[in-house]
Amino acid sequence: MKEIRTALWLAIVGGVMTTAAFLMAFFTAEVQQFGVVTLPKAINTVFPLQGQGADGFAYARPWFSQKIFYFHVPFAEASFLVFTVAAYFAVRFLMTRERSYDTKSRVAMEVALLFVVLTLITGDLWTKASWGVWWEWEPRLTTYFIMTLLMVAYFVLRSSLEDEERRAVYGSVFGIIAWINAPISFFITRVIPSDHPVVFKSGMATSNLVPFIVAQVGMLMIGYAVYVIRVREERMRERLEVVKDSLEG
Amino acid sequence: MIQSNETEFALEVRDLSRTFGARKALDKVSFDLPRGAFLSIFGPNGAGKTTMLKVLSTLTAPSKGKARIMGLDVIEDAVELRERIGFISHNPLLYPDLTAEENLEFFADLYCIDNPKERVKELLTAVELDHRRLDAVRTFSRGMVQRLSIARSLLHKPDVIFLDEPYSGLDPHAMDILDSLIAQIRDEHTFVMISHDLQKGLELCSHALILAKGKIVLFEEREAIDPDAFAATYRATVGMGVS
Amino acid sequence: MAEKKQGLHISGMRQFKAILKKDIVMELRTKEMLTSMGLYALLVLLIYRIALSQAGSAFDVTNIAGGLLWLAIVFTSLLGLNRSLVHEKDQGCLDALLLAPVDRPVIFFGKAIGNLLFLMIVEVLVTPLFMLIFGAGKYADASTAGYLALILLVGSIGIAGVGTLLATMSVNTTGKDFVLAVLFIPVMFPLLLAVVAATWAILIADPQMAVYWKMLGIAAVYDAIMLSAAYALYEFVLGA
Repeated sequence: MKEIRTALWLAIVGGVMTTAAFLMAFFTAEVQQFGVVTLPKAINTVFPLQGQGADGFAYARPWFSQKIFYFHVPFAEASFLVFTVAAYFAVRFLMTRERSYDTKSRVAMEVALLFVVLTLITGDLWTKASWGVWWEWEPRLTTYFIMTLLMVAYFVLRSSLEDEERRAVYGSVFGIIAWINAPISFFITRVIPSDHPVVFKSGMATSNLVPFIVAQVGMLMIGYAVYVIRVREERMRERLEVVKDSLEG
Repeated sequence: MIQSNETEFALEVRDLSRTFGARKALDKVSFDLPRGAFLSIFGPNGAGKTTMLKVLSTLTAPSKGKARIMGLDVIEDAVELRERIGFISHNPLLYPDLTAEENLEFFADLYCIDNPKERVKELLTAVELDHRRLDAVRTFSRGMVQRLSIARSLLHKPDVIFLDEPYSGLDPHAMDILDSLIAQIRDEHTFVMISHDLQKGLELCSHALILAKGKIVLFEEREAIDPDAFAATYRATVGMGVS
Repeated sequence: MAEKKQGLHISGMRQFKAILKKDIVMELRTKEMLTSMGLYALLVLLIYRIALSQAGSAFDVTNIAGGLLWLAIVFTSLLGLNRSLVHEKDQGCLDALLLAPVDRPVIFFGKAIGNLLFLMIVEVLVTPLFMLIFGAGKYADASTAGYLALILLVGSIGIAGVGTLLATMSVNTTGKDFVLAVLFIPVMFPLLLAVVAATWAILIADPQMAVYWKMLGIAAVYDAIMLSAAYALYEFVLGA
């Protein structure tokens, strides 16, 4: 019970923090008016073309879609952090074969998937708001798309196996492979010769840093709360199954 | 545990457990089996018989406890142990598209046997399959496949042989051949067999073990067993087992 | 230590060669994998023809040729990887391998290199065909073949190595082919980006050798990292 209470408190605090960050982002954070992005080719966007120079087309940096950063980047960072936690538990499972590690790894992976999807959604909203397109194959979005597929693949693999222990072992193995693969994906998508610019550039003023950090911490708290609750739920389910089996015997 | 080099026991099992989470496939199983014995393992489905065989033959690791075969630990000395054990299953464990000879030569290479060709020929003759050695296993009858499977498991002259329901699916003629083969190598080998055939299992064994829900229900030397009482216990256990 | 009755001198090399030889002999006898992979590749080429049929004769296919070629290789290898592991699973033969005193990495290398060989054989047959049919080789000269072979090799090593690990898992699932594709494609994505870029770089009118070497290097780094991971993890997959 104590765990649930802690988890609920964390969820509330996290929720409050995230909302505060949201409000701060829109009302108190310094609005960045300056900033110009130069792209190699013209694109369809609502934001004014500042001029055409030798190195390309300069567009004024949009201001309100900057707000998405307060959520997009924290989601992105949280998702990779939680992914790392899932991979860590997967390694521990393979080393000890204790089922609880596998449960923790799987639940962490669920939370990570949630964050990754949120990253993609906020990223998508950003590209639509600023560049007028629904999707850009730019490095970070592409990598997160791949990460989504990897995590979904993890769950597909697990649900296609009948033996429980094998499910845990294979899941852990693939989870580790996926975790190693994600940074490689990120690196390679940046290095491949392509037309797509890296549209997510950071560089925020200090007063913007506060809502950013608040949002980040808030989200991590919510994530952790979800994780704790889910792990408890899974443990109960496992115990129930054992009781059911022994009744049938 | 016996620490000496020369051990009189073929199997020494202490508190062997295999659990995953709260599920227990094997629950603190302990027993000793002397060399040259023939152990028949009985029990209902899901009792842990196959799991026990898998742990003892190093296919799976135990979660807790220890097991030693011919003095070698199943975890620490696993690779060395594999040189000394053979396994006959109801699965043929043979490649259907290769010939009998190619199958045996492949396994001979896996076990790094000296003079592989001679040994393969020796065994093919022993199981009366020499005349079919150039035929693909795909063309063999079930009885022939089982004979070849036995040949495969004896290539490296194992000390302990595990059998997982070897008689299942065999016609009476094939059963006779299997019986005579086992009788031929009965001396100087230790056998551990899982069987659902109570009569056959008791007939062949020197020791009998009944497993249910991962625990030992009964472990006796054959001489001490009263067939009727044993049959009653067996039926009772099968009745209560998880299927 | 218990006494050894007979000395079995375990040689990893002998075991590795035995595993490789067995796969080759079985394949030569049934020709199952090669024919199905080869036929599949040809079918993919046919589909490409359909896809490009309205592109017009002025369309320069060399920009996308690299992508098309590697796509064909990916689909073909998905088929081949599955089949090579299905053999083992069918008759419980993988258990027989595990019961023998074979180091698990030897099994990994034996199967992976067998898969690599079959993949390369199919590539040798299909690549020239592809070049000819679609005119992708129109800017090619004598040295292009060498560069192409090199990038095919580096890419195939990654595909075979990681693919063997994934296929060993997927063959034990319900829905084998589907699961393999779902696992394989996202994991291979970065490697494929690199090798397609390298292939593009040497097929276009003005070959970009700097890009080629850089992409080749990246693909090699991918291979090194992922193969080490696959090698380390294979043991756990076998033990389950």
